[in-house]
Amino acid sequence: MSITAIGTIQRSDMGSGTWTLVTDSGETYELQQGTAKELLKPGLKVKVQGQVREDVMTLAMVGPVLEVKSFDVI
Amino acid sequence: MKKLLLCLLVIGLGIALFSFSGLAKQGEFQSIVLDFREEVPAAQIQAEVSKIAQQYNVQPQYNSEFSASDHVYVLKGDRQLLNQLKHSQLAKDTEFIEPNYLYRVPSGDTIPTAFPPAEASPTLKGPNDPYYGRQWNLHKLGVETAWDETKGSGVTVAVIDTGISHIPDLKDTKFVQGYDFVNNRVEADDDNGHGTHVAGTIAQSTNNGYGVAGIAYEASLMPLKVLSAAGGGTVADIAEAVRFAADRGASVINMSLGGFGESQILKEAIDYAHAKGVVIVAAAGNANQNSASYPARYPHVIGVSALDAAGEKAPYSNFGAGVDISAPGGSAAGGILQETIKPETGEGVFAAFSGTSMAAPHVAGVAALVQAAGVKEPDEVLNVLKQSARVIQDDALNHFGAGHLDAAGAVKLAVQGQITFRDFFRWLRDNGYLNPRFWIDGGAVMLLPKIAMVLGSYLLAWFLRVYFPFRWSWSLSSGLIAGSSGLFFLRGFYLFDSPQWPFRVLGSSIPELGNAIGGSSVLNPLFASVLIPLGLIALLLGHTSWKWFAIGSTLGVASCLLVSSVVAPDVWLLGQGAIARLFLITNALLCYGLARLAVQGEAA
Repeated sequence: MSITAIGTIQRSDMGSGTWTLVTDSGETYELQQGTAKELLKPGLKVKVQGQVREDVMTLAMVGPVLEVKSFDVI
Repeated sequence: MKKLLLCLLVIGLGIALFSFSGLAKQGEFQSIVLDFREEVPAAQIQAEVSKIAQQYNVQPQYNSEFSASDHVYVLKGDRQLLNQLKHSQLAKDTEFIEPNYLYRVPSGDTIPTAFPPAEASPTLKGPNDPYYGRQWNLHKLGVETAWDETKGSGVTVAVIDTGISHIPDLKDTKFVQGYDFVNNRVEADDDNGHGTHVAGTIAQSTNNGYGVAGIAYEASLMPLKVLSAAGGGTVADIAEAVRFAADRGASVINMSLGGFGESQILKEAIDYAHAKGVVIVAAAGNANQNSASYPARYPHVIGVSALDAAGEKAPYSNFGAGVDISAPGGSAAGGILQETIKPETGEGVFAAFSGTSMAAPHVAGVAALVQAAGVKEPDEVLNVLKQSARVIQDDALNHFGAGHLDAAGAVKLAVQGQITFRDFFRWLRDNGYLNPRFWIDGGAVMLLPKIAMVLGSYLLAWFLRVYFPFRWSWSLSSGLIAGSSGLFFLRGFYLFDSPQWPFRVLGSSIPELGNAIGGSSVLNPLFASVLIPLGLIALLLGHTSWKWFAIGSTLGVASCLLVSSVVAPDVWLLGQGAIARLFLITNALLCYGLARLAVQGEAA
């Protein structure tokens, strides 16, 4: 499933920790391996286009896994 | 005057802008990262690097041994240097020049590895691990009492996670061969810190005078790495790991991982392992949402929600359908302390993590103890865990499943041989504790008071009939049930990904409707009174057949209020004492009187 979402990058400390995109509508997506490091800054406001990976499971379990295809810092 | 106001406005805006934390403080950094473009030749990069070194008196270095191929350099510097570099010639040859931000070690709370030498005290009943005193989670389980019987010897627990590293506090722990499905090799070392932490809860070396304790510390660990250093992995690898564990002799599997997509390959692997007699435990997930994530919600998987140190549902924990039992997972106020690795260096560190990831290994560890005590079959192990759990009353949203995990109780039940109780509990489960397999999961229903309410209502109806003969009818019976108990068996239904309140409403009697949507057990005085029966009788008395529904529900309400007044007099605004009891009894009598009047009119 391909989605475009606007939200804020946040660090979650569930388990050993992970990166998340919390959208303006309140959904939490987990950003997984391969996400550009320019994106991984807490508080960064971004527009992200990506693929929801239903075949990936994670230790943080805070939301669906989003594989980022492209993004714009707002 | 206008000018003065304008000046004040500008100054005010300036202060506001500069004190706005988002602008003034965009994260801490003490060094800067340079990433040269791939196409820039190595010789040119070297020249530029030495030029920077001379010009700014700094020493750019590779970030790690893996950085050379990416041309990533790190150099000491502050925001001023960062700006200078960004505006220099260098900018055109680099992909980016940016602050090397410092991020906190995940979940923060780590405590130093250095502690005073531990002296084992022979008078001490607990283990001599110096940090055992901080493991509130193990104290809650009553694990020391469980250790009187067994410490898990002979059982193999597979940890499907980020791998397990051989840190000092796993030195005395037994290992069997596992596999790294991420890098496809036999050694399954941890590069994240999560898997080693989870393994520590299950079988940290205990009574070794070092560090912390684990639950089934004489069990063997099978490390299976399916999650990368970043903490994610594919269902294909996870499914392979489940089959590997089942084929190589593991009898418990712990999966402190989860996702939001259903997967046939993983479901089949779980069915395969279950058929081979493996107890499978998984974390319920950390999204604070109704319904557990996968794989916890699959059949044959024990889904575990997380508790904080106060025994409440941890704020992040999932709940509802798919949660079978709850165990300590920690919260900001107090995490779960184990020895794990620092992912940057691979060294051992004592760290407190929280999550349903931490709750699941408690259940896996106790399942290993139960197996070592003689109960092997996965369904029976689950029964023992559920029957021994400390039941939490008023758990309308299924935060806790069967209740709080109790290691001491579980091992005791397993050792006693649950045969004597088994038939009784099976009866209880089949009747009151519904647990249909795939998409419906169960929660306990207060069975006995409900039966008393239905029987009571029939008794009242029979009583009336002695004086005023009338015919039994379907409308009377459905009225009796609606008034007294509702379709109470529906109340324990938890449907995945759907709200629970419709079941609670269907499963509630008329007096309970006022509190059913919110999921509370405190009666609402407007609903738990003679008011609704009065309305029903006023509305329906003219109708030949619906009238009997009104009379039946009036008698049902009388019975429900009467039983509530004896069993659990808890009324909103009136408390739980004599006042509430008096209120309920008065209204019950009024209901009975009302029904009597209505029937009397009929008979006359």
